[in-house]
Amino acid sequence: MESVISAGVIGLSLGTQYALISIGFTLIFGIMGVVNFAHGGFYILGGYFAFTLTHTFGLPFSVALILAALATGAVGCLIEIVFVEKYVADHLATMLITLAIYQIMITGITLLYGAEPVQFRFPVKGSFHGSGFYIPYASMIVSGVCAVAIIAVYYLVYKTRYGIALRAMADDGQVARAQGIAPVMMFPLAFGIATALAGLTGALVTPILALEPTGGEAVLGKAFIIVILGGLGSITGAMISAFVVGLIEAYTSVYLGGSRGALALLALVVLILLVRPQGILGTVARRA
Amino acid sequence: MTADRHRDIKLDSWSVVSLLSLVVLPLVTTNPIVNSLAYQVAIGISAAMAIYIMLRLGLLSFMVPAFMAVGGYAGAILAKAGATNLLLLMLVAFIVPALAAIPLGALVLRLKGIYFIFVTFLFNEMLQLILFETPSLTGGSNGISAVPPASFLGWSLDTPKALVLVTGLVCLIASVTTLMVTQYFRAEFTSIEENETLTESLGVAVWKYRTIGFVASSGVAGLAGFALVNMLSTAHPSSFASWSVNSYIAYAFVGGRGTMLGMVVGSLLLIAMTNEFAAYAQLSVGLYGILLLVVMMALPGGIVGTCIDYFENFKARSAGNLKPATNER
Repeated sequence: MESVISAGVIGLSLGTQYALISIGFTLIFGIMGVVNFAHGGFYILGGYFAFTLTHTFGLPFSVALILAALATGAVGCLIEIVFVEKYVADHLATMLITLAIYQIMITGITLLYGAEPVQFRFPVKGSFHGSGFYIPYASMIVSGVCAVAIIAVYYLVYKTRYGIALRAMADDGQVARAQGIAPVMMFPLAFGIATALAGLTGALVTPILALEPTGGEAVLGKAFIIVILGGLGSITGAMISAFVVGLIEAYTSVYLGGSRGALALLALVVLILLVRPQGILGTVARRA
Repeated sequence: MTADRHRDIKLDSWSVVSLLSLVVLPLVTTNPIVNSLAYQVAIGISAAMAIYIMLRLGLLSFMVPAFMAVGGYAGAILAKAGATNLLLLMLVAFIVPALAAIPLGALVLRLKGIYFIFVTFLFNEMLQLILFETPSLTGGSNGISAVPPASFLGWSLDTPKALVLVTGLVCLIASVTTLMVTQYFRAEFTSIEENETLTESLGVAVWKYRTIGFVASSGVAGLAGFALVNMLSTAHPSSFASWSVNSYIAYAFVGGRGTMLGMVVGSLLLIAMTNEFAAYAQLSVGLYGILLLVVMMALPGGIVGTCIDYFENFKARSAGNLKPATNER
């Protein structure tokens, strides 16, 4: 019973992290139709920004977290304007361009920080002990920040004029343009917000897991699983499936073992996809 | 037969003929650097051909490393069991992944575009985990080491020269297979790539041609996997990592996705570049990235596609009939 509760708590904690990283990924696809292969790279970039700000400049972790998210978002915005904007209509071209950007990013990071993981530790230690389970304070803080960020994204997308304009662009770009919504403003900002979310997740999570240049590959793989399970382009779908994946991962790793659990999860995702290519929510948010 | 088709057959045939040099090279030089480059290029081209077949159907498959692993491991298991005949090993390395592709194709070929890419990527990840979870068959995380080299008519092809020769031969066979499949079904493949719905409405069984392409691509990838395992004498999961597909995709798009010559040029250029910058191994991934970025932004048709467009334009200018560059190759 204790392991059931413990795994559930771990699963929910993983779910909030996965939700934040996947919402950014699905936001870019939903609005721009771009499969951002560099999303894992932005996650890692956020981690290294936070590491540099805390270790080199001696800033408090909380300040570093905000600055890392903003800096990653700014880099994302710039990359969108320079490299992606012109090719937004071409799925394949943008996919390969972002793949190339990812390769350049990890090479740059490797040259600056080396290929080995750097020593980046979460500043808060200790854990909360419940009856038969415990939760590290670090996980609680990460989950809390992720939850706040998710609520902020929801507010932005569903309650603000900018969010309405973004959704209008996603629904029908031509009609949205005819209404006076300029993609030249919308797309870079959307890309910046999504990459800032990836950077924030990286800054939060890498001190708990590991910070190394190639760490983004596993994250991108996870984002793939979550967004296709939830429905490409659907923010709510990504959030629900992030928790589903987090819980499945936690329980299967406890009861089946690490790689068997991962295999079971992948098999489940492939099965769902084959039956419902549009994801579990059942609506195609954007044509692939 | 149109002028474009004539030109494409000519280009593709010449690219296959040019690959004869990979077979001849180990016979005329003992230079280890040249031979090392030759075998890497041969494996790269074979894998890129598997990507090319699917691109002809308008699909970008990320499953190439997975089928390379199936072919490579099938060959390794057979060789370990004592059956080292080269022809038998090549046949098995082609047929096993091709057979595996039939039921898999029935599942994944219903998907298109981004969904197809995602699912094929996930299958790669699954295969890596399966390799780790089946140590009795695949050696698990240790892989299968000390794989006996292939033999032919009683001769063990175990010298460095013979190993490169076998790799070149496998590449040649993979390319001839690609040429035969893509030219024989050219009309159907092109129609499906251009407009699948219209093709289907004209009575073409799209699923059939997609399956043919997928099976052929898997077999060709299996051959590439066998060449890699035979060269290294080891079948290891890391040789078939999911992300290795990025290199093969880069070969295809940098060279030019529209012709087989593009696969040859892309593989040769990027692998030679990696070797040239071997002293700066950390840089090679970034250099791939820069080249891919430049090509996608400045030469969307790849090197070969852009050259063809310029040549066509030049011919049209000379004839006083300017044709706009299409940049679609």
